[in-house]
Amino acid sequence: MAVFVIVDMQAQFTKATIQASGLTCAMCSRAIDNSLKQLSFVATVQPDIKNSAFNIMFKQNDTADIDALKKAVEDAGFSVAKFTITGVFSNTAVKNDEHVAIAGKEYHFLNIQDQVLNGEKNLVIIDKNFLTASAFKKYSAATGMQCIKTGKAGSCCEKAGLAAGTRIFHVTI
Amino acid sequence: MKQLLFVSFLLVSIAVSAQPPIGSLSPEIILKDVSGNAVSLSSLKGKVVLIDFWASWCGPCRKANKHLVSIYPSLKAKGFEIYSISIDDDKNDWKKAIAADKINWLQVNENGGWNAPVASQWNINQIPTSYLLDKEGKIIARDLAGRQLDSKINQLLKK
Repeated sequence: MAVFVIVDMQAQFTKATIQASGLTCAMCSRAIDNSLKQLSFVATVQPDIKNSAFNIMFKQNDTADIDALKKAVEDAGFSVAKFTITGVFSNTAVKNDEHVAIAGKEYHFLNIQDQVLNGEKNLVIIDKNFLTASAFKKYSAATGMQCIKTGKAGSCCEKAGLAAGTRIFHVTI
Repeated sequence: MKQLLFVSFLLVSIAVSAQPPIGSLSPEIILKDVSGNAVSLSSLKGKVVLIDFWASWCGPCRKANKHLVSIYPSLKAKGFEIYSISIDDDKNDWKKAIAADKINWLQVNENGGWNAPVASQWNINQIPTSYLLDKEGKIIARDLAGRQLDSKINQLLKK
């Protein structure tokens, strides 16, 4: 009988950078700012004119909810054009087109060189609706796995110890 | 009769949370300029005043600054003033933008972004938002830009 051990790599995410797109100047509306600040784990929200983005700092020792951040932008009537999350890593080995557990969540790395992450690193979320439709199309072609379409583990992942339906975040570096 | 009463109640509750209405006297605003000196809106009584809410990170506001820079010198000579309220949290960003846009009218800053007291009192939900006041401090128009703004200022200056 095979025993699967899932090693949980230690890391804590500290901040995210979200680019929002819409018909009007997204930063010039109070709506997104309000919506993001209502999330319990968000400490500060700062607009960044150079990148047309919001820089969001998380509260220390609080777990950031990536999906909740995206929903907050959408609830304000905008969509996410780019979503970058910054984490502090220590010896987190990542391989192209493979899943790895980081801080209790599953991540699927695409379009990367196999490497070991150390120190502060930015991950770009490439799940559907976390980037433009054309960028999503490009990345989704980079894997044969079905989870890129849904952001959730398929039944095929069960043999790797992941229950079907588990949220998998697709990321690149 | 009951129905009429209900309707009038509804209007009252909306008015309370809304922006200062056109035709009303502007509430007093006292905020600090770049040097830290308090500047009151009431000190500009007798002038036609544009209250302009903006921030350094607001692209459309920066664009609007360009127009204001072009009309300000000649209108100032006739009794016009701009009272710009930046909602920048970072004062350095604000100062850099003032220098970059070559702004030489009254600039005050209110720390706290959208939720800062004055921005909240005026119920600012997007920027740029501007109010044009006549010489008595009465709110005449909101969000005028370009030629419409120029002609309204000139009209008020003649009164």
